[in-house]
Amino acid sequence: MAAGPVVRHDDVDVLVVGAGLGGAAFCKRLAERVPRLRIVCLERGGWIDRAHLPASGRHWQRAALGPWATSPNLRLRSGIRTASADYPIEDSQSAIKPLMWNGVGGSTINWAAHFPRLHPSDFRIHSLDGVGEDWPFGYAELEPFYDHNDIEMGVAGLAGDPAYPPKRARPMPPLPLGRLGMTAAGGFDALGWHWWPVDAAVNSIAYDGRAACNHCGPCLIGCVNRAKSSTDETYWPKAIALGVELRANAIAQEIVIQGGRAAGVRYRGADGRDHWQGASYVVAAGNGIGTARLLLASGIDSPALGRNLMFHPAAYVRGMFTEELDGPVGPVGCAIYSHEFYETDPARGFKRGIHLQVTRENALLAQAMRLQPAWGREAYGKLREEFRHSIVILVQAEDLPEVHNRVSLTDSLEADGLPGVRLDYKLSDRSRRSLDFGIERAEEVLRAAGAYRIERLALAPATGWHLLGTARMGRDPATSVTDGRGRCHKAPNLLVADGSLFTTAGAVNPGSTIGALGLRIGEELAREIA
Amino acid sequence: MNPDFLRAVVDTLLPGEAVAPAGVPSLPAGSPAGVDLAPHAESLTSVLAAIARAAGGESNFPAADENRRTAILQSVQRDMPEAFARLLGVVLPDYYEAPAVLNALGWRSEPPQPMGHAVPAMDDATLARLERVKSGGRRWRDDA
Repeated sequence: MAAGPVVRHDDVDVLVVGAGLGGAAFCKRLAERVPRLRIVCLERGGWIDRAHLPASGRHWQRAALGPWATSPNLRLRSGIRTASADYPIEDSQSAIKPLMWNGVGGSTINWAAHFPRLHPSDFRIHSLDGVGEDWPFGYAELEPFYDHNDIEMGVAGLAGDPAYPPKRARPMPPLPLGRLGMTAAGGFDALGWHWWPVDAAVNSIAYDGRAACNHCGPCLIGCVNRAKSSTDETYWPKAIALGVELRANAIAQEIVIQGGRAAGVRYRGADGRDHWQGASYVVAAGNGIGTARLLLASGIDSPALGRNLMFHPAAYVRGMFTEELDGPVGPVGCAIYSHEFYETDPARGFKRGIHLQVTRENALLAQAMRLQPAWGREAYGKLREEFRHSIVILVQAEDLPEVHNRVSLTDSLEADGLPGVRLDYKLSDRSRRSLDFGIERAEEVLRAAGAYRIERLALAPATGWHLLGTARMGRDPATSVTDGRGRCHKAPNLLVADGSLFTTAGAVNPGSTIGALGLRIGEELAREIA
Repeated sequence: MNPDFLRAVVDTLLPGEAVAPAGVPSLPAGSPAGVDLAPHAESLTSVLAAIARAAGGESNFPAADENRRTAILQSVQRDMPEAFARLLGVVLPDYYEAPAVLNALGWRSEPPQPMGHAVPAMDDATLARLERVKSGGRRWRDDA
């Protein structure tokens, strides 16, 4: 607790905690629909300064390993502060390590901007396949919000993919595939398998006042020219123009519950002092770890809170090619994908499916540091073989909810004033079988594309972008934290608007769905208030 | 610490290429590329001291042949992997950001921005390949 009297602010109608994709989409939608509302968003971190992003400097490669690493733990270890107000996450008992950004824009600041939707079947996996749970609503109910989110965020892609229900024309044409993508596509063609250019929240042409991507490569250290969509550039300027107040560097300490309702939030302000902000509605949108941490620290008594943590278990398969490919050129996560094996096939021995994604190559330093050994003459040989001559396929499996996979609090008090947080996550046998199946398929396609040698990484631990399920939606308060409108069963004016809500995870990246959920929850609340 | 010792550690980790593939420059050794352990010697004391001990003294390390120096580093890496990783965490970024190294691997030394890279847009021939995928028909399942 900071010294001095508490700074008390006039009560507001809606108080949001977290300025990432879910919180930003929620705020803009609500402000648009009910302009008279006073809406405030508290964001623990700050705004990035695009004039000083590492991709414009000589040491951009090492920035990605330290102050601009995707892991908050690595950023903290670097000792260099950025706009991301990180907290340590005890992850020694988690097979997958968490990645995120804790500032305005949330993890859209350092994401790859791969922007797929869930499939209709992903919302009904219990009914269709007898595993997991069904969402409280289906694809059709979310579809208008997917469409709207596509326009707000700006999506480059190509309509007509037979793996999905028909989508509206994408706002921008697809990103170029490059030699790497074209070569990989040849492998899928040779096998007669599905492939499609990705939906990417990256401008392929100038869009909404932001420039087209110039294929510089390192999307994960922030986008200098604003081509990669992030909510500090998309939703937030518009939400602020609509009257939403965004308070940066404001760290929520506790959501205060009185008489079964959220009364407001106690937070540490940018001035270092304690603040109190009362509100008629409080919305938590701090991602699947941050939201669970705050709600647990606030004493929300919900048996499913923090449980059912889902990532997307991932493996990599790398194929080596004699011909020269692009190297680390183009948006890192965005070339092509295949949903040949996305839907359940009982013959595979596991329910649900996998997502195969052809990604771009690592920067030279990252490529060199992952080699075994990373030094000596042998390393040179491997690097010469791989750099600009390899294609990586990411195999991503659907993670099913399991109560033992969880976010919980530790006994320690962290520097941000909140209890420490830890993850317990074990890879299930089903996920392992899914990944093994996907690895075999990825090797097949790389061979078909002309790879002469294959390397496999059976589980990639540093892939924990997708922090899902820890305050999941459902009908039963014993097994879910919120209802289908994001309302906490235990406090109906306390809402959640981020990936924590996911009842199940599908096998694709969640950003598009998080944005759509934020819009939908904003719309639902607007209808109630208006 | 002895500058010759530090240089020998760098140049054993990063020995350079005696012969490069045809048509490209060879990779330089670490020291000529500008990698210098001296500013980091204090923070890397434990691992550097272990290397010196394994060699029988700082001066013995540079005097040993490359196979012996490599074997020493491998044994220290086995014995203290975290400290050795910190050593690599200093040496490798300096090396792989050096213009001579980037150029030898066929990459430019300028940062990603503002130049970016040119990549041709998707052409009609590529789009035509997707007709095969479309012709396979609907792949998604109904949710009911």
